[in-house]
Order: sequence, then C-alpha cells, then structure tokens
Amino acid sequence: MDELELLKKDWQRDTIEYPELTYDEIYNMSHAKSSSIVKWIFYISLIEFGIGLLLILLNPKIEGQIEFPKWIEILSYATFPVIAVFVYLFYKNYKNITTTDSVRKLIKTILKTRRTVKNYVLFNLVMAGIFSCVGLYIGYVTTEGGAEKFNASAHFAEYATLGIVIVLITAAIIAFFYGIYYLLYGILLKRLNRNYKELKKLEV
Amino acid sequence: MNKELEHSFVEQLQKHQNIVHKVCRLYTNNQDAHNDLFQEITIQLWRAYPKFRGDSKFSTWMYRVGLNTAITLYRKSKRRIQTDDFDAYQFKIKAEEYDSTEEEQLKLLYNAVHQLNDIEKALVFLYLEDKDYREISATLGITEVNARVKMNRVKKKLKTILNP
Repeated sequence: MDELELLKKDWQRDTIEYPELTYDEIYNMSHAKSSSIVKWIFYISLIEFGIGLLLILLNPKIEGQIEFPKWIEILSYATFPVIAVFVYLFYKNYKNITTTDSVRKLIKTILKTRRTVKNYVLFNLVMAGIFSCVGLYIGYVTTEGGAEKFNASAHFAEYATLGIVIVLITAAIIAFFYGIYYLLYGILLKRLNRNYKELKKLEV
Repeated sequence: MNKELEHSFVEQLQKHQNIVHKVCRLYTNNQDAHNDLFQEITIQLWRAYPKFRGDSKFSTWMYRVGLNTAITLYRKSKRRIQTDDFDAYQFKIKAEEYDSTEEEQLKLLYNAVHQLNDIEKALVFLYLEDKDYREISATLGITEVNARVKMNRVKKKLKTILNP
C-alpha cells in the first residue's frame, strides 16, 4: 500500500486521544494575547515610526544650537505629509492581512507590509543622513570660528578631510541602524520568506 | 463583540477542536509548542470569526485559518527547547487493536512527515483530511496542476526519507 494511504487510514481512524479542552479554556484562549509575526511587525513599525517622529520633534532643539540653512528647515516640514502617507499605508496594510486568504496571498500581504516598513526606514535613514551631513559640517565650521573664517583659511586638503570624515560618520550611523533593521526582520521573516520561495518554486 | 457571537464561536470550536489539534500535531514537535500553536490558532480564529459568513462549513474555514497560522503567523518561541525527538511527543493512543508492525511503520511515517517543509506538510495535512485538489489549491493559493505535481513530489520525498 502507498505510504500516504496507510497514514490516511490511521489519520481518519482518529486513534489519538487529544486533550479535550473545555468551553472556558477555549474562551480564555481566544481572548489571550497573540504573539503572531504580524503583531511583531506592527510593534517594530510603531517603534520605527516613533523614532522617526522623535527625530523630527528634536530637530528644533538642535536647530537652536546649530543654525541650519533655510532649505533644511523647509525639507523637515516637507517630511510631514510623507509620514502621513506612511501612516495611511501602515493602516491599510494591516487591514489587508486576513487569515482567511490563501496561504500564498497571506504571505504576499505580510511581505508587502514589510516592504512599506522598509521604505519608511529608508526614508528616515536618508533624512537622517542629510541632517547629519549638514549638521556635522555646520557644527565643525562653527567651532572653527564661522563659515567666512573657515572658507578664507581652508585649502583643498581641509575640505577633503572634512568631507571624508562627515561621509564616514554618516555612513556609520546609517549602517548601524540599517544593520539593526536588517537583523530584526531577517530573523523575523526567515520562515515566511522560505515558505514563499517554496510556493514560488511551484510556478516555474 | 456580542456575547451571542462569542458563545456560538466557542461552542463550534469546542466541537471541532480536533482539527486544530491535528494541525498542531503536524507543525510542532513537543507538547509546549503544541499548546502555544493551539492558542495562537484559537486567537486567529476568533479574530476572523466576525467575517465568517457561514457560506463554507465551519470546519473548512478552520483548515484555512489553522494552516495560515501554522505556516505564516506563528513564531516559534525561543525559550522552548527545540527537539526533533518526535517520539517524546506522543498523545495517548486510544485502546484499540493494533498490529505492532503497522504501529512501527506508522511511527516512521509520522517521523518522515515531520521532516517535510511547511508547505509540504500542508499538502499532506489536506490530503489526510481527504480534501480534493480544488480545495487544496484554493487553500494554498496555487493551481490545481501545481498542487498535483507537488503532491507527487511529496510522495516521492517521503519514500526517500523512509528508504534512504
């Protein structure tokens, strides 16, 4: 007999005595807190969203110490509508996650959710990069006695060194945050990605 | 959510709880994990219940939510000791006449199924539950042809695991 047929025979004979859960046990279970992957993604995106918002809110305080150029100020206000779009997308994505979809569609929706989070993180990192570059430059020039004095005395070597240091520090900051993000989602979505690949393989 | 809805949900789930137990049995390999997954499936079923319209059978609807939870949503807890020792995790077998060679063979078979990946397990589960390819393909989101192809591959894989 086919192996699976033998298994099916046993499976349907229902020979296993599972623990019979009572009405109250099931009731309590259905009201327990979920620890699903979606909840984790949601929490992480909330944290990321919070950090992004915090950076913007803290910005005026930094502005008090360092005088940012006008365009940076305009740029920081321009981020608000972008964040509003992300909030809408986060909400829409979570609404779309439904366990009654097919396995494939559900995985796809979750991965789409993650992509939105990823785009949001990238957006924040780019903004952080711009602010960091400008902030570091203005900060350094200020300690050297102001832009005019620095420009008058600086040669190519000074500009180049400053440029390299700023780029390296900014890159290190971005790499650090991106690394954390990558690690977090890498671990969280390992199984999901594997299963999605498995389903995709069937299409070839 | 109203009490009536809650009551009908718990009653139906209590009646069909073996389906959830069976999903847990395939996707976990120890008692703690079984209980954890059972709880997560129950939570997800309850969340999806207001949208359950009754146009499919409650049990059919349960297969989908149960498998989706096991395959995509459920996160194995780190605190749990991971073990592949499936023998250590066996529920009591009802007192029935059992052929000892058959029992041994079944044990090997269940162990082999445990070595399959998540998608293959879903195929086996639906096959064991006597679902047709139309339902299998709809549950997994693949075409019927692909479901058949994959099922044949799973059968071959099981043979290889059993007779290396």
